[in-house]
Amino acid sequence: MTDWLGMAAHPKIPRPELKERVLARALAPRRRPWRLAAAAGLVLLAGAGAYGWYRTLTTLRLERDRLARAVLSLQDTLALVRSPDAKVVWVPVTTGGRVGGVTIFADTTRHRWLVRCDGLAPNEPDQAYQIWFITDRGMKSAALMPMDHEQPMVMALDMPKGGGRVMGAAMTIEPRVGSQQPKGRVVFHMNL
Amino acid sequence: MTHPKRLSQEDERSLVRRLKARDERALGELYDLLAPWALGVAFRILQDQDEAEEVVGDVFVQVWARIDQHDSRRGPLVPWILSIARNRALDALRRRRRWWRKAARWEQATTAELGDPAPEPPPHEAAVQGWPLHRQVHAALATLPEEQRRVVLLAYFDGLTHSEIARRTGQPLGTVKTRLRIAQQKLAEALQHLKDWME
Repeated sequence: MTDWLGMAAHPKIPRPELKERVLARALAPRRRPWRLAAAAGLVLLAGAGAYGWYRTLTTLRLERDRLARAVLSLQDTLALVRSPDAKVVWVPVTTGGRVGGVTIFADTTRHRWLVRCDGLAPNEPDQAYQIWFITDRGMKSAALMPMDHEQPMVMALDMPKGGGRVMGAAMTIEPRVGSQQPKGRVVFHMNL
Repeated sequence: MTHPKRLSQEDERSLVRRLKARDERALGELYDLLAPWALGVAFRILQDQDEAEEVVGDVFVQVWARIDQHDSRRGPLVPWILSIARNRALDALRRRRRWWRKAARWEQATTAELGDPAPEPPPHEAAVQGWPLHRQVHAALATLPEEQRRVVLLAYFDGLTHSEIARRTGQPLGTVKTRLRIAQQKLAEALQHLKDWME
């Protein structure tokens, strides 16, 4: 019977405006926290989905660009290799006690070379391979190839414009930043 | 002078049916009937008008939202609502006590004397429905010896546990429990005739 003890308190007349306030509160649409949580979850999910989609698109776009570059390079290489004016030279080289080779596709019409190096020993940390054009006006730097790993390397080189007639090629081991003129050990030296 | 409306069991059942049917006017009628008593309980516990009104708001929000949980076979509507008011008020009281304890710790100051607010004369009987029941409950309480009445009021309106009452009154825990048990038996006997809450 203690339930009735509430009636032991003296009643108090509420302020007139309280009724309107209380009824408005009670009759207001009920807030449903789970709906809010569900909405927040959906927003998060959509956000995560959009972010994932964006990441995927970015990755695919990068991959597409990389493949496009590879295709272009391949087309360039094929064009060089298939050129009727291309001259192919293979030079055996010995580096770091191992035997490798350098293959040169020289297109005298387009003035381009394709150089492929196989079996070259990795450079010392402060060194790099440097390829040279041998011209009738002297040695012209063609490319600097620092090699930190043992792997084949392919590169297309433009022959020097106005730099004289190209008569051959050479490769030396130079400081990592390269040299103006060959000073290091000669890896190979050849005439076309 | 208006006379209090009689709320019979049938009236109460009808009110509950309308509330369950989401009749908003029924909620307004329930407020007219019970707000003074809910506010009285909350004020008695909290001794603060603003907080007590906040509790009344909570009570009617809860009643409207959970009227389906009210089972008339387990008890009438009035004690159910007053118990909601009491529980809400005690929650607010506990929050306030926690706040005071924190404030006291932080400021290392003595807790301010709350003191009893200036007694406010109760409203005129004509202004509130349910006075007969109020008088009956008071009469039932008045039949209790002072020490039993005190433990009942400390338990009901101050929300104290048996141990807290024992500390407050300086009585052994067993004595407090015994007094409460006897007081509840006497109140149950004195108020068992309550079926209609307004006459």
